[in-house]
Amino acid sequence: MTMHRLLEDFAQENALRDVNPGVKILLGLASILLCISSPGPVTPLFIAVSLSAATVGLARIPPRFYARLLLVPASFAVMSIAVILFLTGGGAVLVSIPLPIFTLTVTTGGANLAFLLVARVLGGMCSLFFISLTTPMTDIFTIMQRLRFPTVFIDLAMLIYRFIFVVIDEAGQIYRSQRMRLGYGTFSESIRSFGMLAGALFLRTWESGEHLVRAMDARCYDGRFGLPDEAPPVSPTWALGVVLYLGLVAGISWTTATITLC
Amino acid sequence: MEGILEIQNARYRYPHGPEALRGVSIRIVQGSKVALVGPNGAGKSTLFQLFNGMIRPDAGTVSFGGAPIEYTARALRDLRRRVGLVFQNPDVQIIAPTVYQDVAFGPVNLGLARDAIDRAVRDALSAVGLAGYEKRPPHHLSGGEKKRVAIAGILAMEPDVLVFDEPTSSLDPASSEEIMELLDELATDGRTIIISTHDVELAYRWADHVILMEQGMVLARGSPEEVFADHALLRAARLKPPRILDLYHELVARGIVEDRTPPRSVLAFTDCIEQHLHGSSLRTAREAAGTVYICNVDAVDGDAVRRLITERPIGHTGAMGTRAKEFANRELILLDFTYGVIDKCILKSLIGESSLILSSGGMIDHTHRRIAEYSAESGRALIAVTVPEPMPPGSAGRLPGYL
Repeated sequence: MTMHRLLEDFAQENALRDVNPGVKILLGLASILLCISSPGPVTPLFIAVSLSAATVGLARIPPRFYARLLLVPASFAVMSIAVILFLTGGGAVLVSIPLPIFTLTVTTGGANLAFLLVARVLGGMCSLFFISLTTPMTDIFTIMQRLRFPTVFIDLAMLIYRFIFVVIDEAGQIYRSQRMRLGYGTFSESIRSFGMLAGALFLRTWESGEHLVRAMDARCYDGRFGLPDEAPPVSPTWALGVVLYLGLVAGISWTTATITLC
Repeated sequence: MEGILEIQNARYRYPHGPEALRGVSIRIVQGSKVALVGPNGAGKSTLFQLFNGMIRPDAGTVSFGGAPIEYTARALRDLRRRVGLVFQNPDVQIIAPTVYQDVAFGPVNLGLARDAIDRAVRDALSAVGLAGYEKRPPHHLSGGEKKRVAIAGILAMEPDVLVFDEPTSSLDPASSEEIMELLDELATDGRTIIISTHDVELAYRWADHVILMEQGMVLARGSPEEVFADHALLRAARLKPPRILDLYHELVARGIVEDRTPPRSVLAFTDCIEQHLHGSSLRTAREAAGTVYICNVDAVDGDAVRRLITERPIGHTGAMGTRAKEFANRELILLDFTYGVIDKCILKSLIGESSLILSSGGMIDHTHRRIAEYSAESGRALIAVTVPEPMPPGSAGRLPGYL
């Protein structure tokens, strides 16, 4: 096993595993669309809060892990929003910072736009995390198969998915055996060790490819890879809940369109 | 006896490599349990690839079911369906993202209909004790579980011959025993099973027929007792004789036991010594034998089993099969035996102690059969009781295996 738990590991064990994946994906994707299309910041904020609550409360994803996960896009958002805050004009001046050559000003227009963007980023990320933490890739393959995605595409995706974990394991083993023999001690040693890791990994990947062909031949491969797994049925409660939720969000979006930060 | 797989004088050299097979001739009888024993690099894995046409010998012939193999795409596909090869490393063999999809890989490629595929996958998974694992991704499974998935993937194609390359390598002792028990179970359905191993203890205990290989050649073939008795031969093949057989020969040499068929298990060995001590009429040897209680975990709950253990004079509890072990784990029932359970319970029963075997499905009948066989052979009537009393036919609907 690898040392770090991946998003996928949480998704495989989340408490909403038995909810129909189509319903969950519909909820996540529709929420993203509502986030982007909403003119005011209230709707995306509402989506961020409610879907976070669902992820932590219903899917039982550990809150600390979820918070750390959100920190990554949040820090990106804050950096880019700082630029927008100062560069977008319009409306009354809120703050002005005189600098030797020019003056930085924040206007109401800039503040409103920046806040709306932060809200959308948060709402969108929470929707995405809801999908990725409640719906494992294996369920997403099933959905893609049912939606008649091209077989070649799905077969490749499935093989890649299977072998990502094999490669992670292999890389971890090589890395640990390098560390045991004092690789990565100094900077130059790190560079050398990393090069060796990449080389060894390439060779092993090549070998795995050959093994794969033999394994598939030994099992009568005839150009067909997989079948859709059986998806859990759509429960009426969930279907109704998702429709009501999306209706509520659309309603909020409609009524709060004009509400801005200042 | 009918030979199902036959190789005559096969030679094979890897491209730019040494000659891996240097004139190998073997004949595998239908329905037998064959162990191919030899040190690393003896050519066992190469020979296995001849069995299902993965490689073509440079010289010599390979026949299946009496006819030489044809190396056309169609014929090879048919051959590979009938000769299932389970690789040594399950990570190499498992290719799909979920257990269900991996086991379904063979049946899908054979062009079966959806419900036939579902049935094949369900049967194969329950045969290896992994019912309920359908949606798991392989990287969340233990080594023993991965091995079982790999076996199920081959079983789903319903092959006549099952070939296992080092079935117990890199498994812990309990998992190894479980896999070997599974192989025994598969063999009872009339399948031919071939394994390769360098574990002589395992081969001695398990196989009907042993083929000893070294440096691409067959050194000896025959019953395990014959092949493993020749110490010079074993030394040449860089192997050790099995402990039980070694001990038996030493005891015979000192005149402590009589020279007959060498015993293969601890049970047979103790019987052999006892027979010598107390003469051939074992019936009178001891006080009353203990009872073996056999309990179907699909039909009871934890409280019933605990009640059983306290109410009856049960001294030892064992579990056979994944389902029974999971049950014991869940219900916090302490297990004394987790492998070789039947033999161990018979041993206890012979010294007057009663024991309980937790089991499920077809293994219940197998246990009864094995105890009855032992009773008939040894002349000691052992009592095996199914608890609780089986339900009358009709009401005995199959309970869901996974709760």
